[in-house]
Amino acid sequence: MLERRFPRALGSLEAMFEFVAVFARAEGLDEAQAFETGLVLEELFTNQVKYNPASARELEVRLEREARNVILTLRDPDAEPFDPGRAPEIDVGRSLLERKPGGLGLHLVRRIARRIDYDYRDRCSTITVSLGAES
Amino acid sequence: MFDIRDGEGTIRLIGRLDAAESEGALSRLNRIDRSVTADCRELDYISSAGLGVIMETWKRLHALGSTLRLTNVAPRIRNVFRYSGLDQVIEIS
Repeated sequence: MLERRFPRALGSLEAMFEFVAVFARAEGLDEAQAFETGLVLEELFTNQVKYNPASARELEVRLEREARNVILTLRDPDAEPFDPGRAPEIDVGRSLLERKPGGLGLHLVRRIARRIDYDYRDRCSTITVSLGAES
Repeated sequence: MFDIRDGEGTIRLIGRLDAAESEGALSRLNRIDRSVTADCRELDYISSAGLGVIMETWKRLHALGSTLRLTNVAPRIRNVFRYSGLDQVIEIS
């Protein structure tokens, strides 16, 4: 298990990807699982940054291995309630000329994740995502 | 870290196109005003923010009667385009 706190800013992404790479090497993740862990973490992290940029509280990331799955937990101690598993679905079949970028990140998370759990209490949001191995 | 290298009718996308790099990437791609092929063999990663950059560039060039094509796209990155449905519109090889 690997756990670390990151400042609530896009500038944290580089350190966060390195954090995922360290975990991937230690756990011997396959290439797809390492890629998707980084992608899901970026999407969830940037969502928290985007919708609550004013808070000074850091975000906590935990990565664990459970059998062949990666369990990614993102904890925001100062958040408004928002369940990423229940966000409105976007229409990816819509003409590109009519489409806006918004909502694509959570769409990718839902497409990749095997399971998304959400807990919210006392302004603390905890999102837990299970990511499967390729084969 | 992300970079764009220019060539004759071709550009190379290099590194990781994530949310921290998307603003700079879009600003550089906005200088292109004719059809272009983006060679992605050195593109290691893309997130929804990067897809947004590609989407906005494709739409802008389309409005000018031009186009954006992507070549040498790695399978992992191609999957991200497929999940988003953008592979149905943008020419990817």
